[in-house]
Amino acid sequence: MTPSCAHCGLPAGRLAQRRETDGVERWFCCYGCCLAFQFEHGSHEEPEAASLLIRVGAGGFLAMNIMLFSLLLYAGAFAGNDAVPTGLVHWILLGLATALVAVLAGPFLSGARQALGEGRLGADTLVCIGALAAYGYSAYGVVSGSAAVYFDTAAMVLVLFTVGRYLEAQGRVRAMRSVAPMLAGDRAQVTVVTADGEVVRPVAAVRPGDAIRVRPGERVAVDGEVLAGRSQCDESILTGQPAPCPKRPGDWVHAGSLNGTGLLLVRASVAGCDTRWVRLGRLVREALSRKSPLGEAMDRAASRFVPGVLLLALATAGFWASRADLGEALLTGLSVLVVACPCSLGLAAPLASALGIGQAAQRGILVRGSSVLERLADLRCVAFDKTGTLTAGRLRVVALDTDAVGPAAALRRVCRVASGSEHPLARAVVAYARQQGAEAAPAEEVRALPGAGVEGLIDGERCVIGSAALVGAVDPTPLAEAWATAVPHGATAVYVAWNGRVHGRFVLADELRPGAGEAVAQLRSAGLRTLLLSGDGPQAVAPLAATLGMDDWSAALSPEDKVHRLRQESAVRGPVAMVGDGLNDGPVLAAAAVGIAFGDATDLARESADVIVPAGRLDLLPWVLALAQRVHRSVRANLLWAFGYNAVALALAAAGLLQPVTAAALMALSSAIVVARSLRANGADVAPGAAASGYLPRSQRIDDARLLHD
Amino acid sequence: MSTYVLIFLAGVAGSAHCIGMCGGFACALGAGSPGRAAVLWRQLVYNAGRVTSYCFIGAVVGHLGTLLVGHGGEGTWASFAQRALAASSGLLMVYVGLQYLSSFTRRRPLPLTLGGEWISQGLRQLIGHPSLAAPLAFGVLNGLLPCPLVYAFAAQAAGSGSTLDGLLVMGAFGLGTFPAMLLAGAAGGWVRRAASPAPSPTARLGSLRGSAVAGLAWRRHGVRIAGAFIVVLGLVTLARGVLPMGAHLHGV
Repeated sequence: MTPSCAHCGLPAGRLAQRRETDGVERWFCCYGCCLAFQFEHGSHEEPEAASLLIRVGAGGFLAMNIMLFSLLLYAGAFAGNDAVPTGLVHWILLGLATALVAVLAGPFLSGARQALGEGRLGADTLVCIGALAAYGYSAYGVVSGSAAVYFDTAAMVLVLFTVGRYLEAQGRVRAMRSVAPMLAGDRAQVTVVTADGEVVRPVAAVRPGDAIRVRPGERVAVDGEVLAGRSQCDESILTGQPAPCPKRPGDWVHAGSLNGTGLLLVRASVAGCDTRWVRLGRLVREALSRKSPLGEAMDRAASRFVPGVLLLALATAGFWASRADLGEALLTGLSVLVVACPCSLGLAAPLASALGIGQAAQRGILVRGSSVLERLADLRCVAFDKTGTLTAGRLRVVALDTDAVGPAAALRRVCRVASGSEHPLARAVVAYARQQGAEAAPAEEVRALPGAGVEGLIDGERCVIGSAALVGAVDPTPLAEAWATAVPHGATAVYVAWNGRVHGRFVLADELRPGAGEAVAQLRSAGLRTLLLSGDGPQAVAPLAATLGMDDWSAALSPEDKVHRLRQESAVRGPVAMVGDGLNDGPVLAAAAVGIAFGDATDLARESADVIVPAGRLDLLPWVLALAQRVHRSVRANLLWAFGYNAVALALAAAGLLQPVTAAALMALSSAIVVARSLRANGADVAPGAAASGYLPRSQRIDDARLLHD
Repeated sequence: MSTYVLIFLAGVAGSAHCIGMCGGFACALGAGSPGRAAVLWRQLVYNAGRVTSYCFIGAVVGHLGTLLVGHGGEGTWASFAQRALAASSGLLMVYVGLQYLSSFTRRRPLPLTLGGEWISQGLRQLIGHPSLAAPLAFGVLNGLLPCPLVYAFAAQAAGSGSTLDGLLVMGAFGLGTFPAMLLAGAAGGWVRRAASPAPSPTARLGSLRGSAVAGLAWRRHGVRIAGAFIVVLGLVTLARGVLPMGAHLHGV
């Protein structure tokens, strides 16, 4: 049986096509129905783009009428027909064209006026001069009774350029769509549970303490604590990690995360306009609004280019006027004007950057502006801070050596004596002991020995835990003889002694962050020099640098030394990025070509960083550099392409081989191609560590962006 | 002239398809405006935009057809090309017409996806806009939506041999679809007054289309009749290309 069309209900028939929309397979009888279905079931959005489209439509209506009459004139349909003299048709055309200019020329005129106010000539100036020249010349022709009218040219130039503008606007809208969920924080609506029942309010009206109902599949709009209900939340918008986090009463939920299948009741902990989501949205919006140096350079180049084009157009018109008639010359000059319009040049850079910033933001990475992306792509060297960046800044037991008493005895004693101590070493050792299953009541007469260790009485027997010097006083046997292996560089040893003898040794080291080795290796294989700058002593820094395979390291640096070292490096090698935790290395991050900090993007302490990566996600570092390079390549390729396209078209136009209408169509096509290329080049995305961290495809994660489903 | 009457009738019958596909748009467009006159005005403007698009397509395609084959006398290459064009147009029409008439089972999706999202996205931006020019813009874009009926008559326009004929073919077809679409729009306005205010234009659009779907059996017949008309017109066009000049079909 033939399935029937999901839109119009008729049998789908032979032209039927099967499309998956909203995850459901549907049949459509024709492509138009498929479009209409998508239209009907998408959300209503972007009203600001609508006015431009209305212009396109209304202008298209007038332009089509102009073209109809012009085509009929060319085809000679009115020739020999006394009822419709050609003069009358010309007057009709004048009326239509006047209306068209009134509808479509406005935005170009105001753009030209604005550019003129800034003392330059822009692309809009070219369009205005071109279209108005064709219109004015033809209007004069109509009034003076001449046969030379080019209203169709003026109309098509205006319509095609407006279409080009519309395509550009749509491209921007699409580029922004990937970050749309991030920017939606302050526009969200929440269901507040009050004594009188549930009320829907804007999120800005939420005060701390309000109870909020979060439905399945809804985006959580408040930071707060779960009062009732169980669910799983996707917090990828904040953390970049799409793995769902289970939520039960007492757990914290974060604004911006996507609720799973359960119904939650949440008590807001901060005001609705002060959530991390809203603050993140502000930062992203700010980043997107910053203009890149490349974009500005393009604008400057265009403004120098335009007067040249005007001269060239005049020269072309002059040249052809001396050989052919004035109308032909005017059309040729017009072609030059139109085809030289540097519209797509100004489009390539901002579009690709916005896409790049959006993609980074989807993984929880905040890139502050397109200039940062450009600088990231130019890096020669990456310098790392040690503690808190490559290492967790947290001591951990890496080895326990004991004599014949066995580890259990040592662990039990450690637990009893050291469990009351606040010293980081003691806490790390006790944590390790508990992790190994040792649990016992505190010892008697526990006493901290400042700078040395801790001691206590267990069953009347004195037990000492601490440094080599401390246990040396208990057991005079040289320690080097007691243990077969030396304590590795960068590690710390804690000894346990009882009964007048040293029985055990804990080796503690700062924990390396997961993915640090891979990240460094990937950066190096990408041709970047890696550098370790640390305030710690060389005995801690050197082994780490060796383990990670760093190209160079410097130890015992003060913050000023780090800045100095960074400057030295960048003078020799080129732009250097500094990777730190952003808390105590602000000056170095600011001094680097790109400061990269790990942590929560909304933390003000990380103000001096240009890029903020979710805490501990070293694996994202090579990815963001690769992203910057991809954006960079795409922008360069597009600029090159647009320049080449314009140059070839310009040569053709000056030679008189291009009609103005064809020229305008070529320019609209150029805009469309640049938009499509940018979207595609940056849309073909390789997720970082896709296999390891199980990233979902972009379309599945950003539900709000899923408007069209094929 | 009789050809245009035939095309007009095909348009009337074909509006059974139009109502299913575009009738919802027409309903939704009228829905936001206050008063009967405003609804009528918006509908007229919408349909004027739509028919203008058809006329434009017809004139351009007809003009391209003449450019392609040029004007030539009997026995020249141009004459042969013109006949070949008419024959292929006729074949294409017969093909589309048969699709409407029968239900072949083998299916192959159209490779047309380029720009589709953009059009549908654009239409979405227009539907709820209060501006008076919005229905006009909507109509213009609606007229450019891909549709087998339009393809069929565009094919005939291409084979018609002149710009004016191309325009008239598509114009007659557009005018044929005019009454039904106007009625659909008026019904939209009427239903709106009877029903309680709907929350969003798109939701309203969905609910209103229900009434059009209700007459499914009737619409299926309409589409079959349109298919028959297209097949007949296609055969006439084909004959103009294939039969010798003396067969006096040129005037049809």
